[in-house]
Amino acid sequence: MRFPLSAFLSFLALANNVFAKSSTGDSVLVVIDSSLQKEDYSKFFGGLEERGYQLTFRGPKDTHPPVEQYGIPGFSHVILFTPETKFVVASRCERALSIVIPAYTFDITPQSLVGLLSEGTNLLVTLSTKQTPLSSLSAEFSLIPPPPGTPLVSHHPARSEPATVVPIPVPESPLLTPGTPPVWFSGVPHAFGNSPYLVPILRATSESFAADSFDDSGADTLVDASEKVGEGLWAGSQLGLVTGFQTLKNSRVVFAGGVEMFGDEYANKTLPDGAPSGNEKFVRDVTAWAFRETLALRIDNTTHHRVGEEGSPEKYTTNDQIIYTAHISAYDPETSSWKPYSGITDMQLEFTMLDPHIRIALPPVTGEPGKYQVQFRAPDRHGVFKFVVDWRRKGYSFLQTSTTVPVVPPRYDQYPRFLSAAWPYYAGAISTSIGFFLFSALWLAGDVEGKKKKGLKTE
Amino acid sequence: MVPRITFHFIWLVLATCVHAGSLSLQNPRFTITSSTAAQLRTDTLSLAEKPEPLKLGPSDTLKFTFQITENGEGKGVQPHQTFLRFHDSVSGEEGIQPVRVTPGGKAKFELNMARPPPSLPPTADRPLEVSLILGSFVHEPTIFDLFDLYVPPSHAPAPHPDEAKFHVLPLIHHTFRPEQKLPPKFVSVVFAALVLSPWLVLLGLWSKIGVRVPHLFSPRIIPFTALLGAFEALLCWYWIDLKLGEVLLYGGILAVPTIFAGKTALAATGEWRTGKN
Repeated sequence: MRFPLSAFLSFLALANNVFAKSSTGDSVLVVIDSSLQKEDYSKFFGGLEERGYQLTFRGPKDTHPPVEQYGIPGFSHVILFTPETKFVVASRCERALSIVIPAYTFDITPQSLVGLLSEGTNLLVTLSTKQTPLSSLSAEFSLIPPPPGTPLVSHHPARSEPATVVPIPVPESPLLTPGTPPVWFSGVPHAFGNSPYLVPILRATSESFAADSFDDSGADTLVDASEKVGEGLWAGSQLGLVTGFQTLKNSRVVFAGGVEMFGDEYANKTLPDGAPSGNEKFVRDVTAWAFRETLALRIDNTTHHRVGEEGSPEKYTTNDQIIYTAHISAYDPETSSWKPYSGITDMQLEFTMLDPHIRIALPPVTGEPGKYQVQFRAPDRHGVFKFVVDWRRKGYSFLQTSTTVPVVPPRYDQYPRFLSAAWPYYAGAISTSIGFFLFSALWLAGDVEGKKKKGLKTE
Repeated sequence: MVPRITFHFIWLVLATCVHAGSLSLQNPRFTITSSTAAQLRTDTLSLAEKPEPLKLGPSDTLKFTFQITENGEGKGVQPHQTFLRFHDSVSGEEGIQPVRVTPGGKAKFELNMARPPPSLPPTADRPLEVSLILGSFVHEPTIFDLFDLYVPPSHAPAPHPDEAKFHVLPLIHHTFRPEQKLPPKFVSVVFAALVLSPWLVLLGLWSKIGVRVPHLFSPRIIPFTALLGAFEALLCWYWIDLKLGEVLLYGGILAVPTIFAGKTALAATGEWRTGKN
């Protein structure tokens, strides 16, 4: 009995290895700084490999394997564990010639990373208190980094760790496992710009702030910082520590304020109350979201037709009753497949000509998973219309589709023919027709005696 | 294993040494003054119980003074973190305002609503919960819930142009043109009857004079009459069902025999009328 059970378990583990992976591919490039040891992040990398990802490691200065070749991304996901890698001036000779040699090779620049995102590659970026090309990149994603050299500091709760190693409670979020214990964090916070494409994943605590002073005499510098116009003080729960950004191409990038939270040290470290920390579970959820395992949705197809008909017509007539249907799937990382998804309750359909003429709810059809359907009457305006679905919610893949259809006025023979108001006209037309027919028949077939007599007389 | 335990032990010892004592608040006192310097309300804060909510008008000033001491004794201290936190518990908005503390532990905070600090969060008609966060590298950290504060609602910050797309948008219903109004059917029937009434006159007169159609079934007349009848039927069919193309096709086909039948029929009547026959 034991043998089949163990065989079954190993089959399950194998199946897990084979199936559980991202909706967009499972090749991951890990760019890791030489100052970091791969072994210190063994739980994180091991967890990724267990989930079916194929990790490729390289240093920021290495040229092989390239991130992108001939405009085609080489990997589905890129992890940048290079929180302190900078552009540096190499030598006096090169400085004299103003040659700047980056610590990154030429293929990792803010521009190339943005290019990767627009090609659908997902990124996990780690930041630090140092000003690096990556912190400048984060500013392009509507994150506002604090001045260099100011890590997150919190004196709350009272604990034996330094003030810069902060336990952070994990908020409730659709992309995180509910009930995740607080996580240890050490690194840099960021404020948010007003971009709605940001997905705050982990926020700082109310008591925490960014500071560069490490004893009580630094109190005045905090007040001075807050009085500076334009900069202010990075403090409170409005700051982010780990923040995602979803692009219009549905690729995802996560900016984490510190690389230490991914490490084995924080995963094994107990919280001030003695409970195990949630780091391992949290970083797993974060990568699952960043690599489009969770909250990944797509529109399989959309159809539209007239009520009582089957196929989509080439054009609609004003006032037609139209049925619009969309099929939506969600990615299931457990089985590594797309499954019909009926969980969206607030989707809307717009029927648009320049501006939306109609905007109505597109609800899921009960009993038919993944099917969303609505019936509506075409407006009595003719022109080129579009069926538009543009569903954007924080954290979820954006669902966007647009189908163009012309709406035309009725043809000459599509107007009503038997109006009661026109009965006198019908009567007039019919009686004229009958009158003409009778007259013709009478004139042709009749015998006009008088004329005949007259004719005879003249003869 | 032993060094690790020792290491932890050192940390614990350090922690107990480092957190020498707790911080406490002495003489917390607030004053609300209007723009004309008239004192509207002044009171000492009790930290055990929140006072009545404080209300600030658009030009009022709130002054809040206190002293931070160690273990509730007279010796004032300057902690690393002395932050006032303004929190809207409904919207979750939060503002943090550091307060300057003298090395003697005395602190004064002034909130002038004519020039509100940028750290004040966006406000509505709800009160902001104000608390004082104290943190130090030497002392136990602590938080005091102070009071609820009503401030005039602020203008909402300008949202991102795409922000609206992330929410349910208001529904739009098309306003259709009203249906065409038809007169009552009775009126239509009356007028249709009026249109048909000349037939009564015609039929009445015919019945008086009598109509004779001796040549109706003549083989030279009947084809043309029948074809004319077919034309009338075609037009009637057109009205009920047919499309224009079909009518033109059938009409074209009918026209050919009609021309010849008509020529024959007209020739025949011509012969009768001129008395040749």
